Amino acid sequence: MQLEALDRELMCSGHVGCPGCGATIAMRFMLKALGEKTVLVLPACCWSVIAGPYPQSSLKIPVIHTAFETGGATASGVRAALDMKGDRETTVVTWAGDGGTFDIGFQALSGAVERNEDFIYMCYDNEAYMNTGIQRSSSTPYGAWTTTTTGADWKKLRKKNIVEALVAHRIPYAATANIAFPEDLVRKVKKAKEVKGSRFLHIYASCPTGWRIPSEMSIKIARMAVQTNIFPLYEVENGVNYTINVKPREYLVREYFKLQGRFRHLSEADLDQIQAMVNEDWELLLRKAGEHA
Amino acid sequence: MKKVLEGSHAVAEAVRLAKVQVISAYPITPQTHIVEILSDYVTTGKMDAKFLRVESEHSCLAALIGAQSTGVRSFTATSSQGLALMHELLHWASGARLPIVMAEVNRALAPGWNIWSDQTDSLAQRDTGWMQLYCEDAQEVLDTTILAYRLAERVNLPAMVVLDAFFLSHTYEPVDIPSPEDVDRFLPPYVPAFILDTAHPCSLSPLVTPNAYLEMRYDIATAMEDALEAFVAVDGEFADIFGRRYGAVEEIAGSDADTIFVTSGTVTSTARMAVEELRARGEKVGALKIKLFRPFPVEAVRRALAKAKKVIVVDRNFSFGASGIFAQEVRAALCNLPGHPPVFGYIAGLGGRDITTKMLLDIYFEVKRSDMPVQDSIWVGLQEVNRAT
Amino acid sequence: MEAPIPLKNILYMPRTSTTTEMNKTGSWRFLRPRYEEKTSPCSAACPAGEDIARIEMLITQGAFKEAWETILLENPLPGVCGRVCYHPCEGKCNRREFDAAVAVHTMERFLADAAARNETKPALPRQPATGRKIAVIGSGPSGLSAAWFLNLLGYEAEVFEAMPAPGGMLRWGIPAYRLPEAVLNREINRIVDQGVSIKTGETVSAGRFEEMRKSYDAIFLGCGYWRDRHLNIPGEDGPGVEDGLSFLREIRSGVKRKVPGLAAVIGGGNTAIDVARSVIRQGGQAVIIYRRRRDDMPAFAEEVQSALEEGVELRELLAPVEITAVGPDCLLTLQPMQIAGRDRDGRGKIAPAAAPPIQITVQRVFTATGAEAAASWYNPTAGGAPETGVIFSHCRLHADGRGAPVVYGGDLTTADKNVTQAIASGKQAALALDIFFRHGADAIEERLAPCRVGNGPSLSLEIYIGGRRKERNAHIVTYGEINTDYFQYEARIVQPRLLIEERHASFDEIELKISAHTAMREAGRCFNCGICNACDNCYLFCPDVSILRARDMTDRRINYDYCKGCGLCVVECPRNAMTLDEEETS
Repeated sequence: MQLEALDRELMCSGHVGCPGCGATIAMRFMLKALGEKTVLVLPACCWSVIAGPYPQSSLKIPVIHTAFETGGATASGVRAALDMKGDRETTVVTWAGDGGTFDIGFQALSGAVERNEDFIYMCYDNEAYMNTGIQRSSSTPYGAWTTTTTGADWKKLRKKNIVEALVAHRIPYAATANIAFPEDLVRKVKKAKEVKGSRFLHIYASCPTGWRIPSEMSIKIARMAVQTNIFPLYEVENGVNYTINVKPREYLVREYFKLQGRFRHLSEADLDQIQAMVNEDWELLLRKAGEHA
Repeated sequence: MKKVLEGSHAVAEAVRLAKVQVISAYPITPQTHIVEILSDYVTTGKMDAKFLRVESEHSCLAALIGAQSTGVRSFTATSSQGLALMHELLHWASGARLPIVMAEVNRALAPGWNIWSDQTDSLAQRDTGWMQLYCEDAQEVLDTTILAYRLAERVNLPAMVVLDAFFLSHTYEPVDIPSPEDVDRFLPPYVPAFILDTAHPCSLSPLVTPNAYLEMRYDIATAMEDALEAFVAVDGEFADIFGRRYGAVEEIAGSDADTIFVTSGTVTSTARMAVEELRARGEKVGALKIKLFRPFPVEAVRRALAKAKKVIVVDRNFSFGASGIFAQEVRAALCNLPGHPPVFGYIAGLGGRDITTKMLLDIYFEVKRSDMPVQDSIWVGLQEVNRAT
Repeated sequence: MEAPIPLKNILYMPRTSTTTEMNKTGSWRFLRPRYEEKTSPCSAACPAGEDIARIEMLITQGAFKEAWETILLENPLPGVCGRVCYHPCEGKCNRREFDAAVAVHTMERFLADAAARNETKPALPRQPATGRKIAVIGSGPSGLSAAWFLNLLGYEAEVFEAMPAPGGMLRWGIPAYRLPEAVLNREINRIVDQGVSIKTGETVSAGRFEEMRKSYDAIFLGCGYWRDRHLNIPGEDGPGVEDGLSFLREIRSGVKRKVPGLAAVIGGGNTAIDVARSVIRQGGQAVIIYRRRRDDMPAFAEEVQSALEEGVELRELLAPVEITAVGPDCLLTLQPMQIAGRDRDGRGKIAPAAAPPIQITVQRVFTATGAEAAASWYNPTAGGAPETGVIFSHCRLHADGRGAPVVYGGDLTTADKNVTQAIASGKQAALALDIFFRHGADAIEERLAPCRVGNGPSLSLEIYIGGRRKERNAHIVTYGEINTDYFQYEARIVQPRLLIEERHASFDEIELKISAHTAMREAGRCFNCGICNACDNCYLFCPDVSILRARDMTDRRINYDYCKGCGLCVVECPRNAMTLDEEETS
């Protein structure tokens, strides 16, 4: 595939992301889409470390690191200040992990988007608190092992549907994206850039370390998440208009689960149940998009 | 121009005159009037600023950290629970060297819910690297808020301007509102030492290893030290333009006093009355008002109290397991002074209970009868309570 | 106002001033990726060893001239092969297992036709002149190929052709509806333009051959199989019975003899099919008599299919036993056959069936049961001393020291006798001669081995002369090694053809041309197995920004200072053009 005119690199080599890190791939595509007139608000997450230790930065844009739960709030302040300085060109982006979005950061996010603050909130989702050692978050999917859901206590609660939670705020633009679909991701980031008000992107970012997969499988697993309808690619405009971007061929959920060490303990019955859950969610999404299975 | 203003309104006027550009606040009694007035100023165009109606105090400070880092002057106001909620980010603001100014209305901490005057909330934040300036009346509140910006921007540390709940926030007094031209002369536009700039990108507040953290903290410590001198200078500049000077401390009839009350906030006004009455009775008594609490003006306090025979600290606050906090600080300031006076610590007025002139007189005479304090902290006005069944 | 207090501190705070690029994360690696192109199955299956994956890539990019030149470096006759080759490449195409094979055959023809339409002149690398002269006897595909490659290798090639026009079977054996004369002429003219001389009307007798051995540095003998083989049944020399090849030659000479009525064509090879389809076009009807089954016919399956579409009848499992003249007609006696086991070559072994012979009446009989060398001395074993010969897969070298070495090639030596195999034979002969002159006969096998495409026997001139193809790993990419996530199902092109009625009416080419747009789209279906087509997946997906690209995007390198060896580039390369090795431990 060819992504024209996206050769500019705003991310450096030499960062300490794990080999095969999906979060770094996501950041790289995002920066290619937005360009250098971007300010990044970076609450505590893996990227707080990947961004480089003092005095190094692995990013060629201004970054403000902030406390874990403040992603939405800090961005609101940066935006207000830029507006007061008369700068309407620079885009304010909050780049947070699932922890800082779904859990501890949810209040600030909800507050900011309820006010329709003019910024883009991007959550790169590796489905656990990876930076602190793979503990579960409300984004951890049903069935997963984490260091706080071990053995028979594997997570038996569904992954929180963050996009739907934000769609309920009627924000102008919300979308899912995936590192294995770079053209789609870039298109959505560029589209978001042109929208005013609160925009939310939920980006699937594989984590070889936390998911117990070989580093070279990051993209393949990410692609399978879409192909199995576990992580559908869709957009919602103004909280009402759903557009599903990819309708994959039939692809069983167990193919995706069997490749990952974090799901190794699941029995065939568990996988059947999960397949039923995924089917149910997919049909629900289709209905919202005005389509049928 | 003199107007009768509510204490809260005085804060708002100062913020307007300081040409603050981003305000973020979350309502909490008794700060609400400040917030409402500023919101109105922004809506009606009296102020050219952005008002962020965030969803919690923690988010307030987060928003201001973002705004100040982008290079604009910012402001918030809070109290009690709200300040406590901000605690994490109070540390962040100072560590990030951002000259944010906050109005802090001293209110008791829950439980139980108590909206009245108590200093424990602001004093519990004394370790966060924020400068703290305590005010006695509405004029001082207005003046200190403007002064705080000048001071903070000079040393790159945040500052909180502290005023008592209801006693100051909700009472009306005549206040001389300075002219915008004069304020502009005193407080030039904010020139940030660093900002988020796409033309010169860098990362603010990244990961810092043990290799560098110590030195960064030392830099904050030296800035705090410099703030003592800076305060004196700024205080003087203020006096030059506006004719009012406050000093880090104010000695009240203290030159020949044997016993000196140490107070802060509105209690100082009561202390003035007590001193006047006691002096009329021939008692050699004085008072020391502490305005600048952080950095603690050790030298000034020593100078003021060294010659006294007894020091009485009236604390409208308490640090459980230790003592009243002003008393602690005064004891620490005096302990290396050979032959320093004993410090009698009195705890009064928590949760907004009135501290009367009579109380202060009673305290004085009790101290007069004692050579040494019988205990570190004596709680004043304790009533018998019926235990809950 | 007093002067401001100068600050002692310098604002030492958490704020960055440099990048992470001083941190060489390459030290983390325990696996090391690299770019390594491999061999596509199509190119290995192609007898001429054409670099097919690359050719398709170039077409997709619109670089038609370069694609055409890539063919010419391995095969001088793309306009011919794009029409008459049996395309074994498509039979091995990995895309078969995904949806349908890429129409390589059609692509080759497109390139040749596009070059002709635009009067393009190829720019091909030529080795320095050696000063040696080689005589090539026979201007069929093997002779033309040998002359072409000898020319590229720096030799002066002179071709001697007995017939009045060059081309051998290409002209005299393949009908115009498969290979138009104009196309053949232009393909041969290009060979001449490259510097090969072709003398027509020059028969080489055995005596002249011996003389040539004295005056030339080597001789290539590609006289082919021009004599029809006899049926060895009674009545085969009677009236109404003709040799199929002669019939085809006659049509090509311009004689448009009508052949009304029903003609029986005996045989199952391409010649039989060509004869039958020519009969149809000359006003007659045809029935092919074959002693085995349809599946056993050596004719190309597509040819058989086309013949049947055009109305040719096929009668299987019938062997001729006698031909009797009955008035103007022929009475054919045919013995029904049955399959009894398998032959060594896998085809059904036949034996007469119990049923009695049947008889059919036809207006004429054409024989097309195979051919053989026109003169016995054409055969390599005719010299009687096989020990002096070195046998290669497609040709045979005799260097007895009594004059110039002789290489026998084409139908004389190849196991499968068709155009592309003949071209392969000519190429092999040229390479073998070049090695012979430089290093002696014993070095030939050894020096040909690295030139094999995949595991052979096809050879590549590009590899021989040290071109980029030399760097390719001979591993043949399998379907399992393709990352099919990057491809969508897409229907294979259907080349437009003349309608049946139109085909009956003339000898015009049946398959019609396609547009450049269509060609590019079809070539785009090619996986480009094993070669880098600059899709940039490696560059896109590298989490460490460690893929460096040349300014013009032709070259890619890995920045080993930072590469952590995660392996994403290798897995996401859709076409296995990268390899992951273990990092060397120092």
